[in-house]
Amino acid sequence: MLSPENKKRLLLKLATMKYKRVSFAGLAILSLLLFSLTPSIEHGSLLAEVNAEQLTATQPVQATATKEATKVADALTGATLTGAPRTTAGDYPQIGFSSRSIVWFFAQMHLFLAAFVLAVPIFVFFIEYLGVKTAESRYDDMAKEFMRISMTAYAITALFGGALAFALFLLYPHLMAYLMKVFGAQTLVYALLFFAESAILYIYYYSWDGLKYGNRKWVHLSLGLLLNVVGTTLLVMANAWATFTMAPSGVDAGGAVTGGIWEIIRGPLWNPVNLHRFIANIAFGGAIVGAYAAFKFLSARTLEQKAHYDWMGYTSNFIAVLAFLPLPFAGYWLMAEIYAYSQQMGITAMGGILAWLFIIQAVLIGTILLASNFYLWSGMSRCDGSKRYQWMVKYIAGVLVLGFLIWVTPHTLILSSGEMAQLGGSHHHILGPLGIMPAKNIAVNLMLIATFLSFQLFRRSDKIITVSWAKTGNLLLISIYVIAVANIIFLGVYFGYFTNTVYKVGSSVAQVCSTLVVIFAGVTIDSMMFKGAKTLPTVWGRVSDRAQYALFALPVAFTWLMALMGYVRSSIRTHWHVYAVMKDNSPDNFIPSIGYAGNMITLVTIAFLLITLFIFWIASLSSKQQVKPVESAGYRQQSIEVMGKK
Amino acid sequence: MIKPKSALFHFVVVFTGVLLAFYALDQLVMFAQGLPLNWDLSPAQ
Repeated sequence: MLSPENKKRLLLKLATMKYKRVSFAGLAILSLLLFSLTPSIEHGSLLAEVNAEQLTATQPVQATATKEATKVADALTGATLTGAPRTTAGDYPQIGFSSRSIVWFFAQMHLFLAAFVLAVPIFVFFIEYLGVKTAESRYDDMAKEFMRISMTAYAITALFGGALAFALFLLYPHLMAYLMKVFGAQTLVYALLFFAESAILYIYYYSWDGLKYGNRKWVHLSLGLLLNVVGTTLLVMANAWATFTMAPSGVDAGGAVTGGIWEIIRGPLWNPVNLHRFIANIAFGGAIVGAYAAFKFLSARTLEQKAHYDWMGYTSNFIAVLAFLPLPFAGYWLMAEIYAYSQQMGITAMGGILAWLFIIQAVLIGTILLASNFYLWSGMSRCDGSKRYQWMVKYIAGVLVLGFLIWVTPHTLILSSGEMAQLGGSHHHILGPLGIMPAKNIAVNLMLIATFLSFQLFRRSDKIITVSWAKTGNLLLISIYVIAVANIIFLGVYFGYFTNTVYKVGSSVAQVCSTLVVIFAGVTIDSMMFKGAKTLPTVWGRVSDRAQYALFALPVAFTWLMALMGYVRSSIRTHWHVYAVMKDNSPDNFIPSIGYAGNMITLVTIAFLLITLFIFWIASLSSKQQVKPVESAGYRQQSIEVMGKK
Repeated sequence: MIKPKSALFHFVVVFTGVLLAFYALDQLVMFAQGLPLNWDLSPAQ
C-alpha cells in the first residue's frame, strides 16, 4: 500500500507527465490539423462545387480536353469562365524606372529576410528542446539569443513584403488581378496565417523567461512548434504562387480556372520547391547567425564572451553544413521535375545562356564548402585530441580543391576563331570531358563526402572511443568511405561516358545514394561508438580569428547564390508571366542579360548584408546598458561643456 | 593463409560485406528506375 505522501507524489508525477504530453502532443496535433486544413479550403468561386475530377486533367495546360470541361463547368455553374488577360504594352504603368528591377529588388529582399526569419525558429526549437533534455542552460540562452536576432529581422521582412505587394499591384495590375482570381480566398488564408505567425512569434519570444521551468517550459516548446508549423505553412503557400507561374495547374490552356484551390496549389513543381526552399532556408539561417556569432566573437572583451560566441559560431556552422549537405540533391530533384514538366524549360535553364550561371553557382558552392571545412579544421585546435586526425586535413583539402576545379570547368567556351584554332576545336581535348555533368556529379559527391569527413573528424577530436568493437567499427567506416568513393567514380565514369544518356542520368541517383549512405552510416556508427566514450577537454574560445572570417564568407556566398539561382528560376519562364498561359507583354519581356542580372544580384546582396549588419547592431543594443554617471561629476562636466559652447 | 582471427581477415570480411552492400545498392537503385543492370553492372537494356 502506498502511504498518503507517496500517493500524492505519484499522482503529481502522473499529472505532470500527462500535462507535458497533452501540451506538447496536443499542440502537435493542432499544428498538423492546421497544415492539413489549409490546402483543403476550397476555391471561393462557384467552380468549387463542380466536381473537379470530371472537369480537369491533372496537367491542364497539356490537356486540350479541358475546353470541353470548361463548357461543362459553364453549364453547371451558370458562370462564364474567363481566362488569363491578354495584355498590351500600354497595360503596364511606367514610373520612369524599370518595373522589373523594382519588383526584382523588393522580391529578392523579401525572400532573403523571409528565409531567415522562417528558418531561425526551426533550429531554435531544436536547440531549446536540447536544452530541456540535457538540462544545460547554455542551450536555452543561445536559442533565445538566436531568436532575438530574428525578431528585428521579422519587422523588416514584413516591410519588404508590403513594398513588394504595392510594387506588384502598381506595376503589374493585370497579372495580379489574374493571380487574385486564381488563388481567391487562399490569399486571405495567407494573411490570417501571417497574423497568427506574428502573434505566436511575439508570445514565444517575450514569454521565454516567464515559461522557463517545469511544465511551463513544455508550453513554451509547444508554442515554438506551433510557430514553426504556421511559418512552414506560410512558406509552402507562398511557394504555390511562384510555382503556379512556372508550371500552372488547375487552369485550362487559356488560363481559366477549372479546378479547386488544392489542384492549383499542387502543381508539378510545388513539392520540389518546398523541399528545396525549406532546406536552403535552414542552411541560410544558420550561416547568418554564424556571422553574428563571429561578429560578437571578434568584438568580445572577455574570455567568457569569446567562449560563448565561439560555441555559438560552431553551432551555427553545424546547422548550416548539416542542412547544406542534402541541398544539392533537392536541387537535382527540382531540375529533374522541371525537365519532366517541360523539356524546353529545362534546356533554357541548363543548356542555353543560363547554363553559365551554373558555373558561377559551382564557384559559390565551392566557396561555401571550402569556408565551412576551413572553419571545422580551425575549430579542431580547441581540443588537443584533434592532433590524431590533423594529418588527414591536407588530403581532404586536396579533394575539395580538385572537386572545385572540376566543377568550375565549363563545357563550351566563347572563343574567337584564332583561339579555336589554337585549341583544336571548341572543346579542350583533355579538359573538355570535365565540362559535362558526369564529371561534375563525381566532383560534387566527393566534395560532400569530404565535408562530412571533416565534420566527423571534428566530432571525434574530443573523444576516446571505449566500446569493445571500436576496431571493427573503424574498419567498417573506412570500408564504407573507400567503397562509396570508388562506386561514385565508377558510376560517373562508366555510365557517364560509355553508356547511353538514360543510364547516365539514372546512375547519378545511385551516386547520390552512395553519398547518403556515407552520411547516414557515419552518423549512426559514430553515435553507437560514442556510447561511454571518454571526453577530452575542449577549450571554447581557443580558435583563430581567421576562422571567424570563414563564418563571414558563408552568408555572403549563400546570399549571392540565392539571388543568382532565383534569377535562373524566374528567367526560365522567358516571355511568360504564367508559363504558357499568360504572356508578358511589358517592355521587360525577355531574359535579362547576365551582366545586368549580375549587377542586380550584387546590389540586392549588398543591400541585404547592410540590413543584416543593422539587425546585428539592433540585436546587440538590447544587451547594452549605460553606466549610471556619478551625479556631481556628471553635472559639473555637463556645465563645463555648455559653458564652453557659449 | 589468412588466420581467421587476424586483423587482416577481419578487414577482408568487413570490406567484402560493404562491397556487396554497395553492389546491391547499385542494382536496386537502377532497377527501381526501370534501368536494370547485368551481374557485371553493365546496362541490361
